[in-house]
Amino acid sequence: MKFLIAVGSKEFSEPTLRVGLQVAKAFKAAVTIAYVGPKISEFSTSQVRFTQERMEEWEFDRPGVEVLEWAFNFLAENDFITPTTIEAGFPKNTLVQTGGNRCEVYLQGTVCKDVNLILRNGDIIAELRDEVRRGGYDVTIIGGSQKRRMAHDLIQYINSSIFVVNKYDKHQDYNLLLPVDDSTHTPKAVKYGARVAQAFDVKVNLITVSKTDSFGEGYTKASQLASKMMRRAGIEHEHRFQTGDPVEVIKKTAGDNHIVVMGASTKNPLFKFFTGSKPLKVMEDCQCPILIVK
Amino acid sequence: MVGIIMYNISAPAGISIEGYRTLIIVVMAIILIIFEPIPLPAVAMMILIMQVLLGIETPNGVAKSFMSDAVFFIMGSLMLAVAIISQGLDSRLALGIIKLTGNKTWKIVIGFIAISAFLSSFIGEHTVTAMMMPVGLTLIKNSGVDNRSTAKLAALILFSIAYGSAMGSIGTPSGGGRNVIMLGYMKEFGMADITYLQWMKYAYPILLIEIPLAAIILWYTFKPRQLILDSAVRKLKIHVTKRGPMRGNEILTILIFVFVFLGWVFFSSKVGLGIIALMGVFLYLSFGLIRWEDLNRNTNWGVIILFGAAVSLGLHMKDTGAAFWVADTAINWMKMISDDVSIIRWFVAVVLTGFLTNLLSNAATVAVIGPIVLNMGGDTLVMGFSTAIASAFAYLTVVASPTCMIIHSSGLVHKSDYLRAGWKMFIMSVLVLFFISNFW
Repeated sequence: MKFLIAVGSKEFSEPTLRVGLQVAKAFKAAVTIAYVGPKISEFSTSQVRFTQERMEEWEFDRPGVEVLEWAFNFLAENDFITPTTIEAGFPKNTLVQTGGNRCEVYLQGTVCKDVNLILRNGDIIAELRDEVRRGGYDVTIIGGSQKRRMAHDLIQYINSSIFVVNKYDKHQDYNLLLPVDDSTHTPKAVKYGARVAQAFDVKVNLITVSKTDSFGEGYTKASQLASKMMRRAGIEHEHRFQTGDPVEVIKKTAGDNHIVVMGASTKNPLFKFFTGSKPLKVMEDCQCPILIVK
Repeated sequence: MVGIIMYNISAPAGISIEGYRTLIIVVMAIILIIFEPIPLPAVAMMILIMQVLLGIETPNGVAKSFMSDAVFFIMGSLMLAVAIISQGLDSRLALGIIKLTGNKTWKIVIGFIAISAFLSSFIGEHTVTAMMMPVGLTLIKNSGVDNRSTAKLAALILFSIAYGSAMGSIGTPSGGGRNVIMLGYMKEFGMADITYLQWMKYAYPILLIEIPLAAIILWYTFKPRQLILDSAVRKLKIHVTKRGPMRGNEILTILIFVFVFLGWVFFSSKVGLGIIALMGVFLYLSFGLIRWEDLNRNTNWGVIILFGAAVSLGLHMKDTGAAFWVADTAINWMKMISDDVSIIRWFVAVVLTGFLTNLLSNAATVAVIGPIVLNMGGDTLVMGFSTAIASAFAYLTVVASPTCMIIHSSGLVHKSDYLRAGWKMFIMSVLVLFFISNFW
């Protein structure tokens, strides 16, 4: 599997990187850490690039390299890269330009073979979308940006599962909340949920919510399958059936001490744009990390 | 969408059908350039294609209007910039600045503004910014322990470079492609044939007045904690002296540029600024000072194509009467305020150009606004000069010009900083231009 972790800055992205690497470790996934710098106007691309090349001659790093260096140090401190790679230090000289506004550096990983650091410039949604298309990532991990609209747009347009590390507190004890229904993506969400629960060593709360008092066959079957999978994986879990508006119930149950894992909506993108979807609505208001599985 | 709606609305009274269709292209191009939903070269191609498809001009006519001396100049000056910057003359520049200014921060700021302005009046603003950036960043890096303590100093020094370069680009015709576009329009429309020195005589006083005023504005907007940069200056000196004495290729680079400059001053009326710029590029290539691969890689061809298309559109705005109609309509609106429109007309032209330059690009602004302004009446020389000069007031946004974008790419200045200092710079520049336009 391949995970893409998008970091924004040294100051605010530490939880994103920490959680992202922890989850990636559980999946034994290849990890790419990407930083997207500000968009350069098309009128100025050549001039800016050329100036940055000049600045490198004056031993100035191009903007964004310091974020990659911080990510390198984080990887080193948490033993995600091999001792020889750590000893060699951050290889800024091997930052290879692999496109007009993209450069990358390869590192030797311990949990998985490849760890890549990528520096891009441009519109963050467009750049991450392009990176996912290029790398064929299974999960994209982003921070719970203050700009809610950005996370919302990323979920809409990126063709991979999305983990929004929203308000993660490393001192908080989390449980995993796994809403289960008869939608197409639920089985995959259950699988991912089991792995994440193992990664964080937490209890799983399975929840099936119906708007009416009756729970259809599809709901019951899905919940039985989910319970079975948790039992087989040896994960402590409990299952609840609740009545009410699914979005409200999930948000209320999640509170600030759950990691939510749920399947993405299968609605038509245009319809989703105008009416929204359950995962989008939960993501917009919830106060905890959420993984939306596609 | 806007284009389709406009196309289906009947043309207003007083404008030919070709003129109206030209205006449709203008509106579409402005929207596409501001919001960048498609690449800029695609906008250029749209302009060229639509001129033919909408029956404004024949294919050969569009092709002829696409290439002019102004476009040659833009192409040549972008290439000259690459050739000059590649030689590493920034170290020599750094030593020169430090010798002149010493280690007091306020003196360094004035030095940065004055030198950036002086140099960019001859070789173009982004060339100077690219050369001054490492010098400025070296001082910033060595003057404080962390980014927070040097934030104001960083903004002060970087804006001194960017705004100094922008101000300087009005000094001579070769300071910017937009100056050459305006000169080309004036000559093409039979309004005036201005020499290099005549332009300098009019524009340089503006530059000289603006330098101290800009220093005061920037100093009081970003007053730094560090009033003396003793250690930073010392470290900069150590860094630049490592390079040793001037090498042969550096001397040759300067000599070729002096040759180009003299060509602009004495022969541009006959040969054209663009051709002389290309002669410089030819010499740099022939003497092996730059490789074609490097020129090719670092020249923004998309922008050259766009400016060519914008100039073509501007010429057709004149030919189809669209420029005259817009100018006439604008004057009629102004007359609703006052019968004597001479001052209003001037302010509208300058402020509109200034604002558009902050949203579009300065050369594209002049290419589109130029023909309208030259048809607004009044002294065409004053209107033309003022418009070209106002297009340098790119102080308000990051996207206003490559110089603004270059300093923003350092990650040390924020978008809000542009407005903080920019509005003061904008008003100061408009007032200085008004003063010179009326009393010089």
